[in-house]
Amino acid sequence: MAQPAFPALRGLALLALAGATAMTAGATAAPPDAGERLYRQGVLPSGRPLRGVREGDVSVEGLTAACATCHRRSGLGSWEGQSVIPPIIGCYLFRPGARNVEDVDLPHVLGFVPHRQPYTEATLARAIRDGVDQQGRRLSYLMPRYALDDSAMRALVGYLKGLTSRPEPGVDRDTLHFATIVTPDADPAARQGMLAVLRQFFADKNAGYRGEAPPLHSTRGVMYRVSRKWDLHVWELSGPPETWEQQLRERQAATPVFAVISGIAGRTWAPVHAFCEHTSLPCLLPNVDLPVAAEQDFYPVYFSKGVLLEASLIARRLRDEHAGATLRRVVQVYREGDVGEAAAAALQAELPAGLPSVVHVLRSASARQDLAAAIAGVAGGDALVLWLRPADLAALPAPPATPAVFLSGILGGLEGAPLPSAWRVAARMTYPYDLPAQRKVRMGFPLGWFTVRHIPVVAERVETDTYLACVILSETLGHMQDSFVRDYLVERVEALVSHRLVNGYYPRLGLAPGQRFASKGGRLVRFSGLQGPAVVADGDWTIP
Amino acid sequence: MRPLNAALAAATLSAAVLAVGPAWATEPHAHDHAMKRATRSTVDATLPTVELVRDDGETVSLPAELDDGRPVVLNFVFTSCASICPAMTHIFAQLQDRLGSARDRVHMVSISIDPEQDTPERLAAYARRYHAGPQWHFYTGTTEASVAVQRALGTFRGDKMDHTAVTFLRASPGARWVRIDGFASADELAHAFQELVASR
Repeated sequence: MAQPAFPALRGLALLALAGATAMTAGATAAPPDAGERLYRQGVLPSGRPLRGVREGDVSVEGLTAACATCHRRSGLGSWEGQSVIPPIIGCYLFRPGARNVEDVDLPHVLGFVPHRQPYTEATLARAIRDGVDQQGRRLSYLMPRYALDDSAMRALVGYLKGLTSRPEPGVDRDTLHFATIVTPDADPAARQGMLAVLRQFFADKNAGYRGEAPPLHSTRGVMYRVSRKWDLHVWELSGPPETWEQQLRERQAATPVFAVISGIAGRTWAPVHAFCEHTSLPCLLPNVDLPVAAEQDFYPVYFSKGVLLEASLIARRLRDEHAGATLRRVVQVYREGDVGEAAAAALQAELPAGLPSVVHVLRSASARQDLAAAIAGVAGGDALVLWLRPADLAALPAPPATPAVFLSGILGGLEGAPLPSAWRVAARMTYPYDLPAQRKVRMGFPLGWFTVRHIPVVAERVETDTYLACVILSETLGHMQDSFVRDYLVERVEALVSHRLVNGYYPRLGLAPGQRFASKGGRLVRFSGLQGPAVVADGDWTIP
Repeated sequence: MRPLNAALAAATLSAAVLAVGPAWATEPHAHDHAMKRATRSTVDATLPTVELVRDDGETVSLPAELDDGRPVVLNFVFTSCASICPAMTHIFAQLQDRLGSARDRVHMVSISIDPEQDTPERLAAYARRYHAGPQWHFYTGTTEASVAVQRALGTFRGDKMDHTAVTFLRASPGARWVRIDGFASADELAHAFQELVASR
């Protein structure tokens, strides 16, 4: 997506500006979204880039100077190592520090100073321009000084006053509402497994809920709230993908949710991704083999790039092994309407320029004839790439003459792929996860949980990923205490996802601003035997 | 909110703090502020024998890559870092300017602590943004290699989000490393660098 999403906060900015700022005679009126553009992108109302200067005359400009870069989109700040970046939303800056029960709406975050004097508009402007706080003390080295004119300052302050000033949808006094989204062509068994995991996890969460109690109050001015119940809404989509955004809008209007957790797709997740980005709805870690690769978007977060990652791994291996241009062409096979089409296109885009690529599309229900035709045309100097699910793999004829045969592990079923014995000599499969032996110990925990909770393991990878997504959500919300702000949820997931051992298939997870795929690498494997689900690494873990 | 200076002081309690040179003697407040913003210590560290991948795609070996005789100025960054690394990289870029024609006699080194995200291509683009010259390279590699280097220099804190601002200087291969915690300005770094080279 080239355009950032404005709609959700545009109205807020307008209201804030109208209510909070008075125009002085002769001053130029800034356009309504000027505050947001300045805050998020570092663009002044005049259209010129924002410029900030740090001590030692280190200047920053544009996006690197933008407030959101450090104070984050939510305005609630962050921390890196020993540097705390404080919250700068209006109610922090302008209200006296909250230590009393009346201030229940003030989200608590690190960097919150409970007993500090409030800023005024004048002292805040001085802080931004001269780098001193309301008591005249120097601000942190990291905070630049900005020479904003009155019009820009008004736009910015108005925007800060509007940030996280409204109650978030999907957050009640005692309940947090979440949705999980299921597309109509998702694999039925995997869908069942995912829903079983989600429902059990939510039930466990709520089993500890003791009911309403008055908010607690500690002498350090930190508010602790009773934990909330979690409510799961299952949004099952129907019909063609073009109708899904409208269905989601209707669902959200009927039962607003705070975030989307997990979920499952078949051939596409794109309308869901677009909906979540447009409506500022966190969309956390769905089970999708084909995500939307748009790392400048904010709300959708994925475990990995799925088949797109696999395409990159294969392209990389082809480039490494055939650097001397010994490859005649690449032949790819996928089933019509499935994610293999996008994967094949991604691979083609990464091939060396001038290398021909041919695709064969399987259309009939029984693949045997189509596959025989496709394979028959593959010669010794070709590379063959199979974007096929188990049923089609099982229907493969005799293998071709070329040793350069690749298949998708995600689509084929990893070590369980029913690849016929004759193919196992040469074939290499993409495997963007830890191998079974590598992940065995860490998988003990989720598999144990499935056993104890009587959840049948019908789709181990999907159920494990779902469980992992729930745990990440739960831990992140725990760290957030009661600051239930959608943008903040995404920001905290970014910061915390790498802090834990991965009880799942991935060796490690990591996110950051501008990163939306938590696991970034993979490897190729060979089958170790002519039968059976055993694979062995063919090369190192690679980041393509 | 913990003051940055108190946290930095705590981190360097056990290290020797060397006085910053006479350049700031005329401005006592600036001197105090500079001292609070960055603290200096020396470190005995042996770089591990690991392979790293340079921003030009070349696979290189530590410690050989840094042992060509030139003094080394080194920091740890990651390209997605929002606050600390842009500031540190800006300072390196300014240092590069300050050194002028002498810059080729220094090896400036930035090692990624998010190697899975920071591919050589990403690092090369990052380097271009800051106008890094040929004497300034960015390095990535396996997670294990990056962690090994961080451990050797005592900066590994478990997660990239926990990293602090730190710069290292070494006059020559085998010499002790000077460690500067915090945000030393380009002038301060250049001064420290010149002292280091002069005392070789």
